Amino acid sequence: MSEKPTVLVIGGGIAGIQASLDLAGRGFQVYVLEETPTIGGRMAQLDKTFPTMDCSICILAPKMMECFRHPNIKLITYSELKEVKGSVGDFHVKIHKKPRYVDETKCNGCASCTEHCPIEVPNEFDMKLGMRKAIYMPMPQAVPRCMTIDRENCIECKLCSKMCRAGAVDFAQQPQEIDLNVGAIIIATGFDQYDPSEIVEYGYQKIRNVLTALEFERWVCASGPVGGHLLRPADGGIPKKIAFIQCVGSRGRKFGTPFCSSVCCMYATKEALIIREHAPDVSVYIFYNELRAFGKGFQEFVNRAREEYGVKYIRSRPGEIREDPKTQSLTIWYDDTLTREIKSLADVDLVVLCPALLPRAGNKKLAEITGIKLDDCGFFKVTHPLFAPVDTNIPGIFVCGYCQSPKDIPDSVAQASAAAARAAEALALVKVQQVGGGT
Amino acid sequence: MSQYEPRIVGFLCNWCGYAGADLAGTSRLSYPTNIRIIRVMCSGRVEPVFILNAFENGADGVLVAGCHPGDCHYRSGNNQAEKRVEKTKKLLDVLGIGSDRLRLEWISAAEGEKFASVIKDFTEKLRIKGTSPLGKPLEAAPVKHNSAESIHDVLKRTKALYCQECGKCSSSCPITRLDPLYSPRLAVEKALMGLEDAVLTDKGLWSCLTCYLCRQRCPLDIEYDELIRTCRYKASANGIVGNCSHEGVLYSLSRLMANPETRQNRLDWVPQEAEIAKTGDVLYWVGCLPYFHVVFDDIGVKHIDIAQSMLKILNAAGIKPVLLENERCCGHDLSFAGDLANFERLAKMNMTAIKKSRVSTVVTTCPECYRTLKVDYAELFGHPKFEVLHSSEFLANLLNEGKIKFNGKLDKKVSYQDPCRLGRHMGVYDAPRKVITGIPGVELLEMERNRENALCCGVSAWMGCGRHSKQMQMERLAEAKNTNADLLVTACPKCQIHLNCALSEKLPVKREEVTIETCDLSVLVAKALGTDFLS
Repeated sequence: MSEKPTVLVIGGGIAGIQASLDLAGRGFQVYVLEETPTIGGRMAQLDKTFPTMDCSICILAPKMMECFRHPNIKLITYSELKEVKGSVGDFHVKIHKKPRYVDETKCNGCASCTEHCPIEVPNEFDMKLGMRKAIYMPMPQAVPRCMTIDRENCIECKLCSKMCRAGAVDFAQQPQEIDLNVGAIIIATGFDQYDPSEIVEYGYQKIRNVLTALEFERWVCASGPVGGHLLRPADGGIPKKIAFIQCVGSRGRKFGTPFCSSVCCMYATKEALIIREHAPDVSVYIFYNELRAFGKGFQEFVNRAREEYGVKYIRSRPGEIREDPKTQSLTIWYDDTLTREIKSLADVDLVVLCPALLPRAGNKKLAEITGIKLDDCGFFKVTHPLFAPVDTNIPGIFVCGYCQSPKDIPDSVAQASAAAARAAEALALVKVQQVGGGT
Repeated sequence: MSQYEPRIVGFLCNWCGYAGADLAGTSRLSYPTNIRIIRVMCSGRVEPVFILNAFENGADGVLVAGCHPGDCHYRSGNNQAEKRVEKTKKLLDVLGIGSDRLRLEWISAAEGEKFASVIKDFTEKLRIKGTSPLGKPLEAAPVKHNSAESIHDVLKRTKALYCQECGKCSSSCPITRLDPLYSPRLAVEKALMGLEDAVLTDKGLWSCLTCYLCRQRCPLDIEYDELIRTCRYKASANGIVGNCSHEGVLYSLSRLMANPETRQNRLDWVPQEAEIAKTGDVLYWVGCLPYFHVVFDDIGVKHIDIAQSMLKILNAAGIKPVLLENERCCGHDLSFAGDLANFERLAKMNMTAIKKSRVSTVVTTCPECYRTLKVDYAELFGHPKFEVLHSSEFLANLLNEGKIKFNGKLDKKVSYQDPCRLGRHMGVYDAPRKVITGIPGVELLEMERNRENALCCGVSAWMGCGRHSKQMQMERLAEAKNTNADLLVTACPKCQIHLNCALSEKLPVKREEVTIETCDLSVLVAKALGTDFLS
């Protein structure tokens, strides 16, 4: 084991960032392993946060930068975990670093390459609503501030290479195998969004004015594909009526997941507020199943949405959305379960589905590599849900954030700090045992 | 035989037949005492089902007597009677009871002697002919399947205990949209509150189409169709029955087929040049087409075309199918109407007959038979050794393997109605579409609501065809018309019946907005192969 006690954090979202900063602040060496070209995770995609209505990237970007600059933190982005061996205090980890074809040490993110790249493909970061080039940075605030070439779509015209004044483009770059020796591992892989297209009655991916919540976050975000203007996706028209549908795929037994994703009621309220702030004349409806406003300040937040912003809450899971083929406006059929009337809401311009948030599909592979257990839904199992909420069956491997159970940003951050503390504790114990101390 | 005394049920019209019988009595004419007289106001009131019910209940012969042509007290009731008796005679022939056990006579109020001689003659003929082949009427039988379940157990089995009362079912239900008194959610809610009586006496219980749209969409996967079926069984065990369409004639036919003594004569439609076999791999399950052909002869659908087309296609593919001489109704409609006892009787006999035929594949042109044979029979008897396929799946396979080839082109734009039993119940959406688009020159134009979202044809299990059914049918036909298709193809004989029936009546909308020709999938394929033996 190296001189400095070392921790590997898997996942560079808000949970991973928080855990890394906590550990680095205590003097540990931290490696952050991130699958995509940038850290930031899901929080970086959000427009605002609830219930504080902060600009999400504005509060996250400084933390991302802090991670980048911190002398005790090393970011390993665009990489995958291959192998874990050993035990607490002495894990041997193999990481596969995919080639970016751009030298991270040379690229300064000036973007003269992207300006000239002739290939445009849908941008994953914008939920494929906007476009990016084949050489790209997922978002303006990306950390590390370095381009990546997507070789699947690249036509190798090498214009980027000619345009780059830093000489950073390197088509000869090879995948790298990185071996690390770490004392503890923290897993914070976050979530994926359930694809609601199998719930055919909502017409997702068939009806253009139906978006998912994450798509909508990008759609209304100032740095998003339409610069934050509130528009109808089908024709760019100005919407007058927007509806949210909750529990799309969550709390089910047939499609999606049996659990509640725990954040949708609140983010829908937040998005409703964003809409009303953008355009006060737009009517907003939220079709909810049970309104779960359980956290501090949450019920007050909903009350404010009702009182000050006039957001209409309807207790119902709508039966179907039908599109008028001429106007592309939508009609939502629903049973107002409080009045027991079957009604339809016509002339809706945009429907935002709030899909279940799933533990990531890659968790299965990660579980195989590390030997930690998953529950039936694909969340990482902890040894005791009450008293050991971040400990896994393998000593020295901890979990935090959404990959452990559904939770919002503050809870993920709190749990990340807990995981960091538990990792520090485990390494301290190892150190004490090494020097021959007590216990 | 000397002991045998035929039992005759006589439906006599008030003004002529009954008055004639009265005159025979007051004139002290003697005639056999074998007739039991039921007075009706007009012979035109005598539904086919009255006659079938008489046979079900042990009659050896049925007499319908009315006024002479032109003398009807209600102008044309007797003409109606003549048509109905003709239809019923055909049904009796297919059922193997024999049309000569039914007689229609014109007896005026002045013809006491004619009445006496008709009774004498009919009794004599029936004495010679012998007793009805059906034997004793069927007795009520205990039901094996889940009969002892409490309402709580039913809720548990159908997963209704998971209901979140979100209203997705009720806002999807095509019936609730037209008639808010019924909703799947309210039915579940009442059952969850333990209000068993309220559930079983609710008229809405019989409005449900079991079209599966609610179940398809329910996030909790509640089996509404099964819940409704079980509640209907419970209700009918308590003497409550729903409104059945066509006065229940189709239930009566099914019950007659449930009689083990019934020996049908159901293969008359097989063309001489068609090749069928006694044994083989493939059994063509015809379903109730020979009966539909008779019952629905007045709505412009020739159901036997479906069977003949299928046979033709099978022959063209080099398959000589096995046909069962005494194939019985699969029992689908009885089971969804709550008559599980007769359903189980039919299931048992059909299963035995199929097993005996030793076929490896059963193909049917009816999605209801398909569901029943594949799912419901398997629930009763375990998974069978033979495979059950709907004709659309079988045809798609034949096309795939290149066993049928279309020579010409069929220049047609068609739309496709997903039958609820084939689509949502069984998940078969692609096979019929593959077959349709496999025909050269045929363009498939989808309706707005298709596949999982398709709208039901408005009636199922012959339950309560009313105002709401008609509204749904108009909506659906208009949707089909809007696709600009020339032809609406279905893969279910019943969709075709219900949609055509709606068109055969007075319409609440402009006729040209909803009129579209309908056609069964197998008929379309047979036409594309060449129509030589289609009548």
